[in-house]
Amino acid sequence: MSHALPLPPPGQCFHCLQPLPENGGYSVHLGGHDYSVCCYGCQAVAETIGQQNLLHFYQYRDTSNPLQVPLVPDELQQLEAYDDEQLQQQFTRQQDNLRSISLSIEGMTCSACAWLIEQHTRRLPGLVNVQVNATTERVQVQWHPDQLRLSDILKAIAELGYRALPFQSATQEQEFKKRRRYFVTRLGIAGLATMQVMMLAIGLYFGVVSDLDPQLRQFMWWISLFMATPVLLYSAQPFYVSAIRSIQAGRPNMDVPVTVALLSAYGASAYATVINEGEVYFESVAMFTFFLLVGRYFELLARQKAVSAAANLVKLIPAIAQQELSDGQINPVSVSQLKPGDIVHVYPGATIPVDGELLSDSTAVNESILTGESRLVEKHQHELVLAGSLNKTQPIRVRVTATQQQTVLASIIELQDLALSRKPKLARVAERMASKFVVRILLLAAATFLIWTVIDPAEAFWVTLSVLVATCPCALALAAPTAVTGAIHKLNKSGVLLRNADVLQVLPEVKTMFVDKTGTLTTGEFVLQQRHYYATARQAEIDAVTQALERSSNHPLAVPLQQLTEHSEPLTQIKSQMGMGLTGKWQQQGGGSVTVRLGSLRYIQQWHPQFEPRLPDAQVFLATHDTVLAEYAVGDALRPDTQATIAELQQAGIHVVMLTGDKLEFAQRVANQLGISEVHANCLPADKLAILNAAQANAPVAMIGDGLNDGPVLAQADVSMTFGHAADLARTAADVILLRNQFSAMTQFRTITQLARRILRQNITWALVYNIGILPIAMAGYVTPYIAAIGMSTSSLIVLLNSLRLYR
Amino acid sequence: MTIDVFAALLMALAGSGHCVMMCGGIAGAFAGQVNKRQLATYNLGRITSYTIAGAVVGGAFAGVAGIAEHGLVSLRVIAALVLVCFGLYLGQWWFGLRYLERLGQPLWRRLQPLAATFRQRRSYTALFAAGMLWGWLPCGLVYSALSWSAVSGSAPQGALLMFAFGLGTLPSMLGFGWLSRQLQQLLQSLGFRQLMGAAMIIYGLWTLIIALRQLQILQ
Repeated sequence: MSHALPLPPPGQCFHCLQPLPENGGYSVHLGGHDYSVCCYGCQAVAETIGQQNLLHFYQYRDTSNPLQVPLVPDELQQLEAYDDEQLQQQFTRQQDNLRSISLSIEGMTCSACAWLIEQHTRRLPGLVNVQVNATTERVQVQWHPDQLRLSDILKAIAELGYRALPFQSATQEQEFKKRRRYFVTRLGIAGLATMQVMMLAIGLYFGVVSDLDPQLRQFMWWISLFMATPVLLYSAQPFYVSAIRSIQAGRPNMDVPVTVALLSAYGASAYATVINEGEVYFESVAMFTFFLLVGRYFELLARQKAVSAAANLVKLIPAIAQQELSDGQINPVSVSQLKPGDIVHVYPGATIPVDGELLSDSTAVNESILTGESRLVEKHQHELVLAGSLNKTQPIRVRVTATQQQTVLASIIELQDLALSRKPKLARVAERMASKFVVRILLLAAATFLIWTVIDPAEAFWVTLSVLVATCPCALALAAPTAVTGAIHKLNKSGVLLRNADVLQVLPEVKTMFVDKTGTLTTGEFVLQQRHYYATARQAEIDAVTQALERSSNHPLAVPLQQLTEHSEPLTQIKSQMGMGLTGKWQQQGGGSVTVRLGSLRYIQQWHPQFEPRLPDAQVFLATHDTVLAEYAVGDALRPDTQATIAELQQAGIHVVMLTGDKLEFAQRVANQLGISEVHANCLPADKLAILNAAQANAPVAMIGDGLNDGPVLAQADVSMTFGHAADLARTAADVILLRNQFSAMTQFRTITQLARRILRQNITWALVYNIGILPIAMAGYVTPYIAAIGMSTSSLIVLLNSLRLYR
Repeated sequence: MTIDVFAALLMALAGSGHCVMMCGGIAGAFAGQVNKRQLATYNLGRITSYTIAGAVVGGAFAGVAGIAEHGLVSLRVIAALVLVCFGLYLGQWWFGLRYLERLGQPLWRRLQPLAATFRQRRSYTALFAAGMLWGWLPCGLVYSALSWSAVSGSAPQGALLMFAFGLGTLPSMLGFGWLSRQLQQLLQSLGFRQLMGAAMIIYGLWTLIIALRQLQILQ
């Protein structure tokens, strides 16, 4: 063995991979080379390994990661089946040369698990991004398929003791059921046992008063021991698992003190029972477990509710599509086999299985699954129809553009997952606090134990136990996640999609809101708003002339004037005058032809210099050489309910500012209508950015705009919102997407956000007050273990019930 | 003294992370070459060495302690402090125990050449002897346990204590190949070792307080 053995990272002991002492440690001579080790122990062991000819141990171990042990169990090999390209197409998304997948994870118990998985997988070469969502128990992974295999990612996760498989919504419901059953059976056993043990305990309390027969007392102790054992061994399992994981991740969570408390209370009570001396607290063990489980069960239900709201969407997409073959025959195939360009048929009343281009003339669809809006939407030929929407009126033919994971619906679900996995700052703070709290509680409990050993050794153990139980920061750990998932769930229900849960915290602080005009306040389409005729009797004729002229124009203002009347008038020699308008010869019914002009005021004033328009907003005029016939005011159509919403926002003390690239005259008109006082018109994107930046110096600002064109401005704002043109979801840059095209969603959004923030704050305040308040009392020895259990559970239940208000 | 025997067992279990990191290499590499019975013989040799060391240290200190009043209790204070040091070592907070390990170095230097004698020999006697040599490797955990056998008061008690300690090391050493990957990762993770280290420190401080009370330094 002349070649050198693989070296660990610098600064670590060659043998045990722990840090080397500052003086560089000691050295060991193996196979002709020198290696640094941290101590004599390692030196001796390494030498022994060398002498026993066992150096291959150093050859094949993984030195990059001290956690790694070089052995691959056989069952992990099976995961390689997932490397099959065809199989992967069903649940991965390919973007450029990156591939992404949503994995569902079994065995996650807490945020420490999420951390553990993230840290462990991030080391894999070729892995670009990994985001673990502890709430939905899902992981989003992005990787380079040419550098890394999917099975390697799955194996890395399996090494930590979790089972990761590609997420399939069909199995989720089963998973949920399994998880609920897991808790319900444990809860049931804990509940039954608690009742029995409590009854005995009450008997024992009274027995203490009226001198219970010692033999009977011991008998009751044994019964209690018998009852409490399944609670400890079976019902409390989830806490042990979670505690172990969190310890492994180096971030102890609240289940650590819970586990310590449960095991030591049971151990001491069992010891007391066996030697028939001292005190037993079996009822505290059972009760503590029961209440904690109740809390966890409610938390689970709340989470599942939030998650299944999103998952239900996918379930509605059919797995079978009616494909039209090249010979015109229709053949049912699995959606997973369809490729872009294939043609499928969808019957009325059926759900559209793919995203695609409508080939039939028209139909009406219900897109409520995507937008929450249940009104029918008209779709015309070549328009996009979306998977998950319901075809209502006609049998249609659709050319497939995207299936399965590539559909808009899938991207909506991905967005929701993303929002749930990015916790708002306050939630992260609470989580970190809970983790720090745990370490301090453990330290304080140790101090309590030692101090009480000095004061009164007999009491030390039970006082310490009460400290552990009473101060368990369960409420603190529950405070944020329950409120955040509740809020996201409620927002989704009202058609508001969050990409970033931080918004929940920032929005209530926003004092200035910038709004884009076109496409935001207005629908972006021009409509005829007002008209005036100077010859009222000939209205139909006049409209017909206007219409005929406008049909040869492609000016945006012309569009609403192209469909004015059923009536038609003959016009010839239509000509366009650049920047002025149109002219033509009108063959009047009474005989004789007359030249007419349609266009701007300037154009008409060339013929009628004295003319002053009747309507202040009119831009389009029709005239003959003799007289002006009509004037039209065309304008942006306001989004319905914009006015009321803006008024409401202003009433709430929010300064609404309009930012638009449009001309001042158009902008001002809309602003006047809505009561917006500050208007910035003629803005280039850079101008918008500068204005927003200036305002941002004082307070957080919100921007609501077109998700596609206002990208940079939206990205700069503290909260950015956009209306969801569902088809463009993937490209939009906003934090918040209002899926229903109603401005009033803003008000709902604000109300829910404020409620969520209030509840979050209440929760955290309460949890802190309780935990800090009970600590000195418990340390002073005034709290017995079972009072402590009641106190802890009540405080968690208060937090949970408070968060459940969001689900109403 | 039964409670101390139990504590020694727990100490070894708590130190499993340490065992896996330090000697996991020997056990793991070795396990691949021998059958289970041979591996058990090897480990039995190691535990025998511990037991002998326990008897020697226990007996020697029992003699020394008899000279002074409160001799054993005073030694207990030292044992408690060693345990605290071990807790600090296990949790990677302070590596003072490395100096203690140095004490075993001369003895090991003398024994080490013998190891070559048993190299590649697979008879049960040779394996047992090799295991016995293994038992004398300088090891902070073993020395912490030995400091407890020093205060046990007699050679048999010291031997019993170290035997219990040896049993506690068996799961991590004998089962190295069988322990699941997850469990090994858990045992080796810093979080677990720190928790166990903290438990050691508390236990050490607790015995310290008790000892000080017995010496009537504290009330």
